[in-house]
Amino acid sequence: MVNIIFGDYKGDNYISNPDMYFDNTYQDEWLESSLAKEIVKDIDKSELEGPNLVVSPVLGSIPVTRISGGAKTIIQIAFDDNHIYNASACGDNCAKWLLNIGQDKDIVVRMGHIMHFPEESFEIKIVNTGDIVHTQYELVEKVIAERLLD
Amino acid sequence: MVGRYDIELYNNKVHYHLNIKRNITILRGDSASGKSELIRLLGNYNANPESSGITLISEKSCSVLTEENWKLFIESYEERIFFIDEGNTFLATKEFAEAVRGANHYFVIVSRERLPQLPYSIEEIYGLREGDNAGKYRNATHIYNEMYKLYSNHLGQVNVPDVVITEDSNSGYDFFREVYPDKCITAEGKSNVQNKIIGADGEQILAIVDGAAFGPEMQACMELINTSPKTISLYAPESFEYLILKSGLLNMPKDILEETWNYADSAKYCSWEEYYTNELCERTRNSVGQYSKKHLNGYYITKGSIDKISKCFPWT
Repeated sequence: MVNIIFGDYKGDNYISNPDMYFDNTYQDEWLESSLAKEIVKDIDKSELEGPNLVVSPVLGSIPVTRISGGAKTIIQIAFDDNHIYNASACGDNCAKWLLNIGQDKDIVVRMGHIMHFPEESFEIKIVNTGDIVHTQYELVEKVIAERLLD
Repeated sequence: MVGRYDIELYNNKVHYHLNIKRNITILRGDSASGKSELIRLLGNYNANPESSGITLISEKSCSVLTEENWKLFIESYEERIFFIDEGNTFLATKEFAEAVRGANHYFVIVSRERLPQLPYSIEEIYGLREGDNAGKYRNATHIYNEMYKLYSNHLGQVNVPDVVITEDSNSGYDFFREVYPDKCITAEGKSNVQNKIIGADGEQILAIVDGAAFGPEMQACMELINTSPKTISLYAPESFEYLILKSGLLNMPKDILEETWNYADSAKYCSWEEYYTNELCERTRNSVGQYSKKHLNGYYITKGSIDKISKCFPWT
């Protein structure tokens, strides 16, 4: 299940800048997986050829450190269970990947905004309150009513 | 700093065109739309302007602020356009907000965070996309990116609201209470508007907010409008004072309202809301319509005044 901490989070395992953190800590084997290739294909519209090469329709051949901050964050959430990542580095086009990864394992992320989840129904736990919400409206209402982003 | 600035930044692969006209501009939107690439390109240009192979065309100097340099750059330079990428922790600090307030610079901030301490306008929240002029620049290896507005200042259609919620608790509320008797309630501040909408007793809700500084609330507000079972309309003119200035009640030079960027000095006014309030107070001083933000002068709730101001509403 996807667990979201809204607002400030100061834990030692929190990564506020997943883009930079990825550049300095990513593991080659992550980028050899079909999951990482699918993520980069879907979010960046680019081909992840392996740990050393991405082919972008816009930028041409680029290193993996030039993929989007959103794709980097999602890959780290998928492969690194030791940190809590700032999912506000992800646009709404990453939302389905959070839900996909959350179907296979429990993930915990932090958000400073309300991401738009496109699915009509889902299960997301709001860590701040312990509530489990099932629709985007339930999520929005809870975050606003509890002032979780204040 | 005043003015409106066209910025072009490009290399052999990508071409960015931005138009910046207020002290704070926010870039957000989908991942992989080119926001961080824009900052990277500008950073590389500044590291070696002559030999970078990157071209920057801008009347004002542009720099990237980082955790390391932001205080020094803001204090040392004059009239720059500063770009800040997401992930910088100083963005959320009070210290940065205080540095922005009164700064003689413009700031372009890449962030999806709410940033409640910064009074940015809903009009200056943009995404990046491949532009309409793509044909001009685009070939197999060249993509043209331009800004597009994420929000409009009038959303939804509530013609006969059950409840009207005003962000303002002072003069703006006094006015709209006259326009919508028995329906108008105040949220007493922008951060309470969404909670008032959720708790409102009615199905058709109209929320009226000051767009010039409502930016931090806009993303959550839009999610609420788009998902709520209630019918919610949001009207976000720059401010109530802007409506009065626009209404024709005062003899106003057109340029002040149509090209406010040439008048609202960022060193004096943190948002255009502050500028319009000051302008209205100064222009009505010692007159029958002397304006006070705290208590609405009765002049503005005469039938003639209400009619004139109401004509500014997009639904009339």
